Amino acid sequence: MGSVLGLGAVGLSLIFGVLRVVNLAHGAFLMLGMYITYWLFVLYGLNPAISLIPSFIVGLLIGAIVYQTIISRIMYGPELSTLVAGVGLMILLEEAAKVMWEPTYRGFIYDIGTVYVGGIGLPLSKVASALLSLLLVAVFFIVLYKTKLGTAVRALMQDPEGAALCGINVRLMYALMFSLGVSLALMSGSLIALHQQQGINPYVGHSYLLIAFVIVVLGGLGSLHGAYVGGILVGVIISLSTLVFTFFGVPQPMILAHFIAFLLILIILLLRPQGLFGGK
Amino acid sequence: MLEVVNVTKRFGGIVALRNVSLKVERGERIAIVGPNGSGKTTLFNVINGVYPPEEGKVIFEGADITMLPSYKRAWLGIARAFQIPRPFPNITLRESVAIGALFGSLYGKIGAREALEIADERLKLVGLYDKRNELTGKLAVPELKLLEFAKALAMKPKLLLLDEIVAGMPPSAVDYIVSLVRKISDEENIAIATLVEHVMRAVVKFAERVIVLHLGSKVLEGRPEEVLRNPLMEEIYLGKRWSL
Amino acid sequence: MMGYRAFLLTVFTLLILVALRFITEAEPIGFITPQFVTFVMFYVALGLAFNIFIGMTGYVDFGYVAFMALGSYAMASAINRASSLSLPGYGAIILGLVETIVLTFILALIVGGIALRLRGAYFAIATISVNEGLRFLVDGLDIWGGSAGIYVSGPLIRLVGHEAYSFIALIVSDLLLYATAFIALIITFVYLNSRIGYALKAIREDEDAAKVMGVNTTFYKVLAFSTSGILGGLIGASWALKLAAVYPPEAFNIFYTVEAIVIVMLGGAGTFLGPIVGGAVYGGLKYVLSGYIPGYQLLIFAPILIAIIVMVPQGVIGFLRERSERLREFIA
Repeated sequence: MGSVLGLGAVGLSLIFGVLRVVNLAHGAFLMLGMYITYWLFVLYGLNPAISLIPSFIVGLLIGAIVYQTIISRIMYGPELSTLVAGVGLMILLEEAAKVMWEPTYRGFIYDIGTVYVGGIGLPLSKVASALLSLLLVAVFFIVLYKTKLGTAVRALMQDPEGAALCGINVRLMYALMFSLGVSLALMSGSLIALHQQQGINPYVGHSYLLIAFVIVVLGGLGSLHGAYVGGILVGVIISLSTLVFTFFGVPQPMILAHFIAFLLILIILLLRPQGLFGGK
Repeated sequence: MLEVVNVTKRFGGIVALRNVSLKVERGERIAIVGPNGSGKTTLFNVINGVYPPEEGKVIFEGADITMLPSYKRAWLGIARAFQIPRPFPNITLRESVAIGALFGSLYGKIGAREALEIADERLKLVGLYDKRNELTGKLAVPELKLLEFAKALAMKPKLLLLDEIVAGMPPSAVDYIVSLVRKISDEENIAIATLVEHVMRAVVKFAERVIVLHLGSKVLEGRPEEVLRNPLMEEIYLGKRWSL
Repeated sequence: MMGYRAFLLTVFTLLILVALRFITEAEPIGFITPQFVTFVMFYVALGLAFNIFIGMTGYVDFGYVAFMALGSYAMASAINRASSLSLPGYGAIILGLVETIVLTFILALIVGGIALRLRGAYFAIATISVNEGLRFLVDGLDIWGGSAGIYVSGPLIRLVGHEAYSFIALIVSDLLLYATAFIALIITFVYLNSRIGYALKAIREDEDAAKVMGVNTTFYKVLAFSTSGILGGLIGASWALKLAAVYPPEAFNIFYTVEAIVIVMLGGAGTFLGPIVGGAVYGGLKYVLSGYIPGYQLLIFAPILIAIIVMVPQGVIGFLRERSERLREFIA
């Protein structure tokens, strides 16, 4: 679970790191990804792993459109504008999803067996999704560190003006990275669909948006590898504290575990605002 | 009035100020001269309370203000005009300057109406009165520098710290500002400390005393003509030619 | 006093709106009904209360609804306590208001004291975490009824009887809401015309420069944060009187915060006219749209919102103010 969340958080962190935009529509993008997996599976019996491809393409397209029509026009304005635009986009996507797919929960079971690790049964679909997200993140980092494009992105994150002076087409890069960030969110959503026990509905993204913030803050805003490691950490922290709370007989262990996650954000923001893995 | 005693300030391993001491008397005008990186701005930040020094003391009118936050120093009468103007872009000139009046040495003694009156008077003084209801964000850079000056003056300071107020200005404007600062300093008995990197002519015209900083230490102090003639100045600005 | 004519005009307009609420009690005029007026006033109050912090300081508080939630809970728990002890009903409401003020003030001091050391996106995320953290805390530790919530209408009816209940739920709650809106308006005006307003503007524009100019930034930020928070609590408390129950997902629904931000953005941050225009336009539009096309109002509303942000990012009043010197003097 943590690995899958980490994939989405890398997308969120990429957008913040490159464009300095906090994308509040992140959760809505995850939701879209979940629906893509769901529909392709229910209608065509498509393997959820393959639905990553359409998620990737749809993500790029939506990202490009959103960047061109909205983000590029306001990203240099006050912070408030991009935040509110993100919310507007979130509402738009959610309401569109509601109209098209109805507000009810839809679920599906993708059972490909169970593996036992140390006596604990893990559904194979979850293990597979974790491995797939790890693979995607690995590909992303290889691109980031081994290609010219990746070098340009890293330059841009350090110093946009300097990057522009070096002949990097900043606008094109912004558009590309925004789209890629959205793509990562959709792909992450596609995989989260496998973990979604109570099914998906148009508003399912909310809780993931907030968790994504925990992750991104934990890893350091704009730090890409931090985001991925942060995702795994948050997954572990929530599972572990749920276990501990259950052990002590707290009425709602799962919910209190989320409280711990948010408490963590506050503590980290105050003590180490650059995150656990962010440099100064 | 202001006394800086044996101040040392480090950033990590770098010593930005090394055992620097200086005094400024009421109504006096001094210039702190030094090349880029000599510690001038750090010295101002210490006097101003942006950060505390590791060692040494800052004393203002007999009180130790070393650890006092910068806003309280403003109430005591220390004002600062930044080198790169720090305008409040979405409010009018008049409001910007009124903020200075409200929170300067008159803090708690005047209300918004009096502050606006002071703002009008200060804007007249620097020649920006006609633009008083424009938004600050619309001004050009030389005007912003004047506004910065008006904001600091509205604080009715006893000591005014000017970061390079004449740097990057055309010579005609330099003369105008220098004579303006002199006039106000004389009329209102305001002590002025200014940072100077290059424009030496302005220094001579303006300062009664010059302090030279080099690599974080005070190396020279004296009347402007004497200091400028000192061979050490050439060494600081041009490097040790003879050691090549 | 700068902008006093605009202030008087605003007060006058709002008074007319309030008067319309009672005139239309018997018969609606067009789409104007008591519900419409209250709906609009809710958003006007929300905009004004929120604007005192977000508009004047430029900090984006994404946890604002926590204050409203706390107000709702304070009112609900006061009524429940009074109901179980059979104390007089109106006393419970007054007690609820007092508790709202005390609790929201404490929350504001704690959150403000800690989170206001952060800036920009960091502050926004910290406040989201406070809101979500509180929600999970109430839910997880079964405080105030936990996820089941806490009843309001039932205990209130037991306390005062059916007739008095409908009077409280309709009239008293409305009046409290209107009063909150007027208090928020007056505070905004007083702040704008005093040292406080200048300090907050300086903080919004350049916090470091403000500090050097003698502004005790921490003090003024916490002042604005708690003023805005207490007013938010009062809105929550008066609204709770209309509800059957207060429970976490609704009370802490981040959507109210979003609406408040939208209103302030729509009208223009930092002025008192902005949130009123924003609140009236937003509330009115939402009411009318939900009447004609129920279920689709958000779908239509979202693109309008985005278009406004893209085209007039400084808000309607901000846009006009930037262009006209006369308007600047008029509204201060």
